[in-house]
Order: sequence, then C-alpha cells, then structure tokens
Amino acid sequence: MRVAYYKGCLASLSAKELDTSTQALAPKLGIELDELESVTCCGAGDIHEAEPDYYLHLNARILAYAEATGSDTLMTICNVCTLNLRQANHMLQNDEALMKRVSDNLEAVGAPPYSGGVEVKHFLWLIAAGEGYDRLKSVAHKGLKGLKVAPFYGCQILRPSKLLGFEDPDRPSSLEAIIEACGGEAIDYPAKIKCCGFPIIQAREETALNELIQPIEQSMEAGADAMVTPCPLCHLSLDAWQQKLEASTGRSFGMPILHLSQLIGVAAGLEDSELRFRRHVVSMDPVLEKVEAP
Amino acid sequence: MATELQTNGGGVTLGAMDVVLKIWRSDAETGERSLERYEVTVGEEATLLDCLDVVKDKVDGTLAYRKSCRMMICGSCGMRLDGRAVLACKERMKPYVDRGHVPVVSPMGNLPVVRDLVVDMGPFWSKIRAVKPWLDTGYQEHPEGEFRHSQQAMNPIHKESLCIMCGCCVSECNSMEADPEFLGPAALAKGFRFVGDPRDRGKIERLEALNEEHGIWDCTRCYFCNERCPKGVDPRDAIAKLGAESIEAGIDRDMGAKHAKWFVRSAETTGWLRETELVPKTQGLAEAIRQTKFAVSLAKRGKVPLPFPPHVAKDVREARMLRELVRSQGRTGAAGHIQGERALSRIEHVLHDDPEKAPASRIAPEKARG
Repeated sequence: MRVAYYKGCLASLSAKELDTSTQALAPKLGIELDELESVTCCGAGDIHEAEPDYYLHLNARILAYAEATGSDTLMTICNVCTLNLRQANHMLQNDEALMKRVSDNLEAVGAPPYSGGVEVKHFLWLIAAGEGYDRLKSVAHKGLKGLKVAPFYGCQILRPSKLLGFEDPDRPSSLEAIIEACGGEAIDYPAKIKCCGFPIIQAREETALNELIQPIEQSMEAGADAMVTPCPLCHLSLDAWQQKLEASTGRSFGMPILHLSQLIGVAAGLEDSELRFRRHVVSMDPVLEKVEAP
Repeated sequence: MATELQTNGGGVTLGAMDVVLKIWRSDAETGERSLERYEVTVGEEATLLDCLDVVKDKVDGTLAYRKSCRMMICGSCGMRLDGRAVLACKERMKPYVDRGHVPVVSPMGNLPVVRDLVVDMGPFWSKIRAVKPWLDTGYQEHPEGEFRHSQQAMNPIHKESLCIMCGCCVSECNSMEADPEFLGPAALAKGFRFVGDPRDRGKIERLEALNEEHGIWDCTRCYFCNERCPKGVDPRDAIAKLGAESIEAGIDRDMGAKHAKWFVRSAETTGWLRETELVPKTQGLAEAIRQTKFAVSLAKRGKVPLPFPPHVAKDVREARMLRELVRSQGRTGAAGHIQGERALSRIEHVLHDDPEKAPASRIAPEKARG
C-alpha cells in the first residue's frame, strides 16, 4: 500500500533514528512511503492551545498536501501528530462551512485545497492488524528471543477515543500483539496507558517527573528488559529525562527505550545505520546482547 | 442465570439476571481494606447503582456509597468500574453478565477515601470555590429589568455548563496525581464557564488567577478527563480555551504559555519546531544555562540539533501567510476551538477493535457525547 508519510518535527530533529528506522522498515512491511515535503509542524498541543484557528489551518494544510499525493492514507509516527491531524480532519469532514472556509484559505496562500479525502493513521495501526500484521510475522525473522518488553502507549494514540478509536483506550493490545509477533514477551503494568509528562516537562519539570517515574518504575519492577513506545515525545521523555529521574530519586533505572520501528527493526535485522541506537541516551547494549546471544 | 421474570410499570416483561461484583471495602479510620465478592439478582436493565442498592438492601447494609437522583444529573455516584471512573447510575451491567466478566468496583482516584466507595469531596469543592464559580455582573444595585442575551452569545459555554461536578475527570487526572495542588479539570472547566460568559465582567482577573502556579499550564494533556466525563464537558478542551484566551489577552508570563507561543513562532518562521531554542524561550536564558550539563549529555547523542542553519520547511511562506490571513478573520482565542465543536459532536464513538477483546462497556458503541 502507498501512503503519504508525515514524519513530524522530532523525527526530523532530535529523533532522526525514528525516521531512518521507519523508512527502512516500512517497505519490508509492504508500505510504500510518499514523504510529504511542503509541510510544517502540526503544532503539538501548543499551537492548538495558543492559536486554535492557526492550528486547524496548519493541519488542514498537511492534510491537503497528503490528499494531493493521491493517497487516501496519511501515515504518522507520533501520537501528538496523530491526534492533531485526526481532530482537524474530523472538524473539517463534519462541517461543510468550516471545510470551505479553511480550504479557501489554503488556496488563497497557494496551498492545495482540501476536500476531506484522507484518513490519518499511525504506523502502529497499519501493522497491528490485517495484512500488515501478517507481513510483520514473516519480516521479524530474526526474532527478539523472548526479550521482555514493556509496551508504553502514551496518551494521544488512545484518548480521546472518539477521535482515535483504533482500540480500547483502557485495555489496548496492539503493541502487545506486535511484541509477541516479533518473538518478545509483552510485560503488563498499570501505567502503560498513562502520561509520560512530556508536554509539561519544561514548564513543570517536577510534576512531569512525578508522572514519568510511574511507567519506568513499574516496568522495571515487572521485569522488563526494555520499553517500546509509538511516540517520539514519550521516547524523549522516557529516554533523555530518565537521567533526571535518577538524579532526583537517587535510584538507578537504566531502562532502554525503543521506538516502535526500532523494536520491529531489531527483529527484522535492520542495519545499525538504520536503527541508530547511538542516538539514545540510555544504552541499548543489554538489549542487543540478549537478542544477539547465540 | 436466573430465569424468573419481573414486570416493570409499563407492563413490559423483562428478564432477570445474576450479577457478580467485586467491591473494594475500606475504612479510613481503621485502615482495613479488602476486596469482597457479591452476587445479586436484578432486572436485565439494571445499572451498577441498582446492583449496589440490592447489595445494601439484601446482602450487606454496611456498604457505603453516595447516590441521589439515579438519572445522571446529580453527580453523586462517581466511582470506578474496572478502574474507569463512571457514574454508577449510567453503567448497565448486562454486557458484563453476558461476557461472564466479574468487574471490580472501587472508589474514585485523586480524592481521599472515607469508607468503601465514598471519597472526601472536600478538596474537589475547595478547587471549585477557588475559581469563583459565580457571575461577576459588575453592578451592585439590583437592575430594574432583565438583561437579555441571545442563545448564540451563550453557546460558547454550552459544553462547560453541562458539568454535574461528579469528579470523574478529577479521578483520573494524571497531572493532579503528580501535583495534588493542581486545580484540575473540573475546576478549570468551571473557570471557562465564567471566562466565556458574555455577562461576566471579571474575565481578565479570572484569567490572571487561572494562570497562577497550579492553574491551566499544569495540564499534561493526558485527555483522561475528556475520556471519562459522562456529560460531554471535555474539560481538556476547556483548558485549551483558557490557554487561548490568556495568550490572546497578553497573559503569557507562565512558562507553559511561552512554550506554546514558541511553537507558533517556529511554525511561521521555519515551519518546523525550532527545538533547541525552545528551552531558553520557555525557561529563560538563565535557567537554560543552569541546564547546560543536561543539555551537553543530550547533545552528545545528537538530541540538541543545531539551530543554524535552520531546518526550514519547503514552501514555509504559505504557513506564514496563513497565520496573517486567519488572524485577520477574527476567530481568535477560544473562538478557534468553539468553531469545531459542532463537527466534533457528530462523531460516532466507534471502536474498530475486536468486540470479543473489549471490556463489556465498550461492546455497544454509544453516540458521541456533547
């Protein structure tokens, strides 16, 4: 299947490893990526909060460029991009007058118009069910050798479920299905659907760290070798801010954090240059040792 | 399954069913806590509250829980069912029985438990009071006639006016769990109910207060409040409206507001987030310098992308022109959110998951609320 690919800010900047591993993996799973060039940031929750009308137009512009590729699917690799784009899309698809105003505005600045013909889907959703899932099992030939992986969903791929709706927001199972298809063991723990604290990690660090500690501590206590997340913001929080958590609690966690594409990538035997684990703050060596062990 | 039939007032014959529940019993005074199993026979239409009533009447009169209206309007019976905050009077039990699932009932979160399913709502009410939940009309003398307002003028606060103050949103608020002083979703939704009221004269004063330390910028956007609200208030959206109104009014001293504004600035200059400058723009230069050690540790891993040359999106001119254009059209502040509400309320609440795997309450999709 051919999809328009929107990688968002972080995969172009501090989480480049998410982009390279996704680009390397997607074709193996039968997903042909048509990367969007003339697009901007979706605004995270921030432009949505600061200037909501601008948020709507920026996201409509991304949807319009996706529609212009001729694909009916816009693939995202970030929870926040997913919610932003799906929310904007629902607003436009369900209100003709709003769609007309926004589409006219897009044309007025030289962007393509938008008619509502695109559905926004996270990469996770394309491979957790149906044909994508069947292919996943054959692609993950190398396997994870029973690696114990704690899935961390984050918020904005689950809630609000009326906008996301891929799976039960309280008992999701897509990441577990993928971990198991890759030959790993999915670890269960209560905080897997809670917040990583990232949206307020700069403005309210203490509060954010009080949120961040829950998934890391619980997955460690449940015996996880590593955690996996479908969101680069959660990844940054769990991986890069883990050292701050260690400093503030005086404890040692050392929990390796994988992007979803990297977890499958390891099982599928992607190259180091595609996985780029050197870009992580917490070392991935213990995970690789376990998976590479004879 | 019991086979006896009972008749309701309308003469329609309804089946009966046996419901099995586990309830967390506790007593704050003694510190005792235990998970108890109960089995009751109720009509097939029974809600969780109906089941609790039968437990109390026929099995154990010491069970403590709150209730009043039994019709989703008084907001008394908030509690957790399988970990989700719900109104007990809204949750039908038949899907659970059909699946053979035994649900666990427990008190709401983020509030101290008094006994069994009863929580101390004191902290909840003090936060509601903190946002001054009354109209500031700006006059002392009683006017001679009524002031008339169009329905249209009141529509912007329609959703927030639906709040029944049950506490389901507060129960699951991730920020409040991490910072118990956070005003939280219910109080902030109430805050917008008055900030957005065209009759109120205290808007700026209210926004100033809501921009204090434990106010709107504490929200971590976990969206549990929107997910749980049984009345379609969508408190997170109300918080976003307060953020938009604050920034539009020039109340942007909080780091959260500065953080949000930097995304706007990034979008209209380079298109993509100017990630490395986000820290000094949010926290100020002095704090950014204090964070040098942390920044260096991230830079070693390529996580501090150089701001020069800037990472500029193709055709970014369009994004810049778009901002100028939409600002000239006047849907600024909360109006930008409110314009999408009618469309969002039309979305069917449908999950694409395998219904066999979903918990009972999710099997029958319900219409989107609000």
